[in-house]
Amino acid sequence: MAFEFKAPGSASQLEQFSYDDAIVRKFFWATLIWGIVAFLVGVILAVELAFPQANVLPQVAFGRLRPLHTNAAIFAFAGNAIFTAVYYSTQRLCKARMWSDTLSKLHFWGWQLIIVSAAITLPLGITQSKEYAELEWPIDLAIAVVWLGFFGTNFLMTLVKRRERHMYVALWFYIASLVAVTILHVFNNLWIPVGVVQFLQTGEFGSAETVMKSYPLYAGVQDAFMQWWYGHNAVAFFLTTPFLGLMYYFLPKAANRPVFSYKLSIIHFWSLVFIYIWAGPHHLHYTALPQWASTLGMVFSLMLWMPSWGGMINGLLTLRGAWHKVATDPVLKFFVVGVTFYGMSTFEGPLLSVKTVNALSHYTDWTIAHVHSGTLGWNSFMTFGMLYWLAPRLFQTGKLHSEKLASLHFWTGTIGILLYVISIYTAGITQGLMWRAFDESGQLMYPEFIETVTKLMPFYWIRAVGGTLFLLSACLGGYNLVMTWMARPKKYEVPVHEAPALSKAYDDGPPAVSRLTANAGIGHAGDKFLQGHWHRRWERLPVRFTVWVVIAVGVASLLEIIPTFLIKSNIPTISTVLPYTPLEVAGRDIYVAEGCYNCHSQMIRPIYAETQRYGEYSKPGEFVYDHPFQWGSRRIGPDLAREGVKNPSASWHYQHFLNPQQFTSGSIMPSYKHLVEGDLDYAAIQPRIRALAMIGTPYGEAVKNAESMAREQAAAVAAEIRKDMAGADLPEDLENRKVIALIAYIKRLGTDIYRTPTAAPVEAAPAAEEGGAH
Amino acid sequence: MRLTDIMSYMALHVWAEIALVIFQIVFILVVARVLFAPKAEVKRLASLPLEDDTDFSLLEEVE
Repeated sequence: MAFEFKAPGSASQLEQFSYDDAIVRKFFWATLIWGIVAFLVGVILAVELAFPQANVLPQVAFGRLRPLHTNAAIFAFAGNAIFTAVYYSTQRLCKARMWSDTLSKLHFWGWQLIIVSAAITLPLGITQSKEYAELEWPIDLAIAVVWLGFFGTNFLMTLVKRRERHMYVALWFYIASLVAVTILHVFNNLWIPVGVVQFLQTGEFGSAETVMKSYPLYAGVQDAFMQWWYGHNAVAFFLTTPFLGLMYYFLPKAANRPVFSYKLSIIHFWSLVFIYIWAGPHHLHYTALPQWASTLGMVFSLMLWMPSWGGMINGLLTLRGAWHKVATDPVLKFFVVGVTFYGMSTFEGPLLSVKTVNALSHYTDWTIAHVHSGTLGWNSFMTFGMLYWLAPRLFQTGKLHSEKLASLHFWTGTIGILLYVISIYTAGITQGLMWRAFDESGQLMYPEFIETVTKLMPFYWIRAVGGTLFLLSACLGGYNLVMTWMARPKKYEVPVHEAPALSKAYDDGPPAVSRLTANAGIGHAGDKFLQGHWHRRWERLPVRFTVWVVIAVGVASLLEIIPTFLIKSNIPTISTVLPYTPLEVAGRDIYVAEGCYNCHSQMIRPIYAETQRYGEYSKPGEFVYDHPFQWGSRRIGPDLAREGVKNPSASWHYQHFLNPQQFTSGSIMPSYKHLVEGDLDYAAIQPRIRALAMIGTPYGEAVKNAESMAREQAAAVAAEIRKDMAGADLPEDLENRKVIALIAYIKRLGTDIYRTPTAAPVEAAPAAEEGGAH
Repeated sequence: MRLTDIMSYMALHVWAEIALVIFQIVFILVVARVLFAPKAEVKRLASLPLEDDTDFSLLEEVE
């Protein structure tokens, strides 16, 4: 394919160019394939919850598989959908081919490699345990390079080299996504890699597990705050703004009429970008997060109603005069329901951020229903609408293989979503109400957590059916799209377009002149300002526009983050809270690797029902050595923040890990027999302690003797189990098994605030209960 | 004196109010821009996605 670019000159000189649709086709297929994978893993997880015997292997047990599902849905399915939309629409809105075909290809293959890395590492338990940011440090670095280096550079340079003066609003949303995701990814992934520390200190590489392991620089409250600043805004700038860009481009195309109100789209953009970034703390209501930050998050979340609904109304009203087409056009069907789900989810999000509602909803399945109405209803349906619209154009077939099949996909998918969300909304509200129910005597009505689990089983099964229907509908869609592709011409035509290059010297027209007569100077200045010439300039200056988006996002982030990190009173020191012992650190890392946080929280809120059920509420100062924090975001099982106080028996935990149903009939926790059979890597403990010491954990002699200290404590835990289970069939080298470290960690949970303060210098906590391992 | 001491003595609970003020100012500016944008210009910008299928060689820059 040859391109003939004429030197830029007068506006009348035309340049010829063609669009790179090959890269769009690549992302198109990646979207479809990874979408089906993400939905399939979701169905497996749904079955595992309803039928725990399905947790057949540790690699595919719920705790390890759930992060794979969320990452596949967000970064593989939605991510490739975003890139499909961006590569198709940006070229056309800019009247320019992507700046570099090489960067486009590097972006595509780099992103797929990252997804494959996630699919390998997460089931192996290689995770940071921060939701939607689980991937370990080497993959994080790859994401930064691919996202900003390949995609960002290519996208921004295409904007710079464009031939259309005005940047259409869809491009604004893409710019905001690019900038915000970069900032979020970098600041939520500041870690210290254990393997690098080991190499620098000893010149040796550790095991593969050690090389991949990292600890976040932040701990406890600050780590939680950063994580949910990221987590919330990942939803905002990965699942919302780029899809709004998609909506503002593809919906007018499908309806064949311009967006209802371009003015409203401008308000939608700026208010969304400015407000969204503040709302993250609403994920941490009633936790150890400072109250001011929590309230700030709630207020800004409520303000989000305004732009979100403005955007939804703008999308739906674009169909004015074309509603009759919705009945027959499957593309519009997907878009209409997708935009409607956007409105519903963005109504529900602020509702859930209201503290009193959040007290009921948090940690329950209500949140799960909320995110699925967003991802299945909004993201998936907008994506499928786009894929169906693109297929005849990208494959140059002129029409879809079957519109009837596309409509069947739509209806099956819609019924699947409704079955899923209605059952899980019911489950979530049931769960929340049961947790807080009291009887006439003032006692918890359902004191056994398991009662609130078994009650949900019918809903879990309905969810599995709904999810399966949605998966089948996606497979139908896949078949339809493949059949459309089969009808493609032998060789794709590559239309050549023409457009004048933008002249370097751009005439902005006459400067604003005050339209006022008798007035003071400030009045004239104000009138000139209100005429909006300054903003029209930004709209054609991509670099300046990007800078202003960075400022909007940065100001909001800094105003929240700086006080959280620098005000001492936010995290009062508790003198009895000490660093975890080396064995407990090893156990904690197992807790992280198994994904226990996916089912168990470690955060007792100051709510009467919670303190009655779990014990003393959690204090900010209890988490100062938690790298990373393990508060969790849902309770499929009970909270574990005071597990060491409530249930300190090592033998109970040993037997419970082997067979949870032995103690709790109806429990849906899988067996962790592999931890009893697996050997603990004692040699890997020392570099971990050194890494933690480097980021400020005050380890004393443990910096040198971590392994021997761990062995000593393990011997004490194993001895306790042998004593309690005399005559039982126990492994001879019980102290070398992974489960011993995990039990040591569980026994420690929540106990520090009950320890008697001593004047001794701060160092790793004495494991007094285990018989003095130090 | 450390940075954390200085920050602790500052009345940072007013940051929420500062945030609201900043938001309101930005929002007013955006609304002003929208209200005063010329209708003809906005109409053309809104129809940009629909220009794909047109003959670009016939288009003239519209200002």
